[in-house]
Amino acid sequence: MTGPGAGYRTRVGGADGVETEPTSDWTFAWVDRVAGVARLRTGNRAVSVVVEGSGSEWFVTLRGRRIAVSVLSRREQLLAKAALGSRSGTGPVEVTATLPGLIVAVETTEGSDVAAGDPLLTIEAMKMQNEVRAPRAGRVAAIAVAAGQTVGTGQLLLRLE
Amino acid sequence: MRKDSPRRPFKRVLIANRGEIAVRIARTLREMDIESVAVFSDADSNAVHGQAADLAAPIGPAAASASYLNVSALIAAAKRTGAQAVHPGYGFLSESAVFARAVEEAGLTWIGPSPGTQELLGNKLAARRAVAAAEVPIVPGLMVAVDADDLPGPAAVDYPAMLKAAAGGGGRGMRRVDAPEQLAAALAGARREAAAAFGDPTIYLERLIEPARHVEVQLLGDRHGNLVCLGERDCSIQRRHQKLIEESPSPGVTPAIREELYASARRVAGTVDFQSAATVEFLLDADGSHYFLEMNTRLQVEHGVTELVTGLDLVAWQILVAAGEPLSAAVLEANPRGHAIEVRVYAEDPYAGFHPVAGTVTTWRLPSGPGVRVDEAVRPGVPLTPEYDPLLAKVMTQAPDRPAAVARLRRALDEMLVGGLQTDLGFHRWLVDHPGFASGAYDTGFVASHWGHGPELTAEEAALAALAAQQARLSDEASNGPMPRRSAGAAGSTRPGESAWARLAREEGLRR
Repeated sequence: MTGPGAGYRTRVGGADGVETEPTSDWTFAWVDRVAGVARLRTGNRAVSVVVEGSGSEWFVTLRGRRIAVSVLSRREQLLAKAALGSRSGTGPVEVTATLPGLIVAVETTEGSDVAAGDPLLTIEAMKMQNEVRAPRAGRVAAIAVAAGQTVGTGQLLLRLE
Repeated sequence: MRKDSPRRPFKRVLIANRGEIAVRIARTLREMDIESVAVFSDADSNAVHGQAADLAAPIGPAAASASYLNVSALIAAAKRTGAQAVHPGYGFLSESAVFARAVEEAGLTWIGPSPGTQELLGNKLAARRAVAAAEVPIVPGLMVAVDADDLPGPAAVDYPAMLKAAAGGGGRGMRRVDAPEQLAAALAGARREAAAAFGDPTIYLERLIEPARHVEVQLLGDRHGNLVCLGERDCSIQRRHQKLIEESPSPGVTPAIREELYASARRVAGTVDFQSAATVEFLLDADGSHYFLEMNTRLQVEHGVTELVTGLDLVAWQILVAAGEPLSAAVLEANPRGHAIEVRVYAEDPYAGFHPVAGTVTTWRLPSGPGVRVDEAVRPGVPLTPEYDPLLAKVMTQAPDRPAAVARLRRALDEMLVGGLQTDLGFHRWLVDHPGFASGAYDTGFVASHWGHGPELTAEEAALAALAAQQARLSDEASNGPMPRRSAGAAGSTRPGESAWARLAREEGLRR
């Protein structure tokens, strides 16, 4: 899709859902955010849907069916991918940078035990502080970066075991 | 004053119920120039039904057992507010002979079938014996309770069979048994469920009739021996033995079958000193033979369907009959016309086995227009109370014939927009387009065999949802975030590229 929506990717079924191209057969007529109602049109047909949410997380109720939709900017896509990609597995895990940026803080030390979701370090990217969290419980075996360091996408940050 | 009522039968009536049915009864009371008294639990102090009535009385804590099922609290509320009569609605204490008697002993009028009728027909096993004696066809099976210590032999009933609770209703305490060796385990489960739901673990056993339609006859009677059958309702679209859709007339009932149903319904009513409104439920098998299931001695959830095809107000007639009025000639000669369908809108996820959903209704747009009736009592923005029934609304349509009523229902469902939680509207919208529903050739197995957990999302639906969400986000960003607006312009739309300040200025301009 080109035009105003080009910067966003949509996932139907939420952040873990299926990447879906918004239909180009239909056009968007209007949204009333207070009422939570939007109107879509195709040719001479139109349908009203319920639209709720904000930022990246939305629900669209179409013909009575409530559908979770994630609308992700490029940055949010990278974050979502990181969260998704590191969720499984039990062996050693290499935590890598999912976006280029500056390490502004390292919040753990080598040998520490961490729980899933604990903050590990903070990367500043696109003027946003992005917390990198433990994808699973484990021990921090090695930290490969230090505060003040610039990292590139895919660069090793630390290793969990 | 109603033209068909010679005098105002009561000055003030207490409605011993909540939600949409309390609102619906209050409406009729208002039309009859009778003052209405609502009752409310602590969880309902702000509820819609309290504000639909002239007066409202608190009756206790949120738990239904302490409030809407609390006989002494309800009687005290009626005495305190000076009510002369009590309408119980459906559910809660509507079929409680104990409550009906307590109302009468307090010197108040009970609006409904007499306590004696409730006692005789309230127990399904006792009713089964009584109507069999009156030569009404019943489902083949046992006439006594199933004894857990002395199970009936394999030849006692044909399998597959059905265990049912004697005190039952709403599908609870029911178990399908496919073979005799499953009986013991199924019985234990059914007894547990019946004991928890009704305080009575008595279970009986019937042959399973399958395929079958669930068809019920609406009765209205007075204290002068008059009795009228007001058509039938087909309630075969069910999940967990609970109704989702009702329509009148039934697509499976011919005039000849209707005559037989009416004759049986009259015989059932004849076993008691019947008055007021009640429903006789039957199963109709593939050959058109009918079997008595039970008699509900109260107003039904789906009574509105009958009101739409007869033009009568059943609640008004319950009130008039309770005051001793005879049914008018117009009622006794009532001839149902056209077709009506009701869908029940529940806070349930049809894509997850119709499991109840907790949450808060946000968007709440109701259908209206020609031939549409909506009974509801939802307050958007207020969390649903988990203590009570998850019924949100009843949407009914009426038209000269069934195809027109279905088309009208489709249109009404498209107008109805509910946000905040999943409802069963997705099922209903699917159903109205299903050829098996359009043809009318459906039975009680329809939901299980055709819906399951619902169809997969189509590529078009996914792409439409993606479009709506993406454009909503872009709209927010164009207006610096989802700022709530008090006034709305043309459909309240955000103009692309307009900042919040510009919009505010425009709205200020509009206000001057």
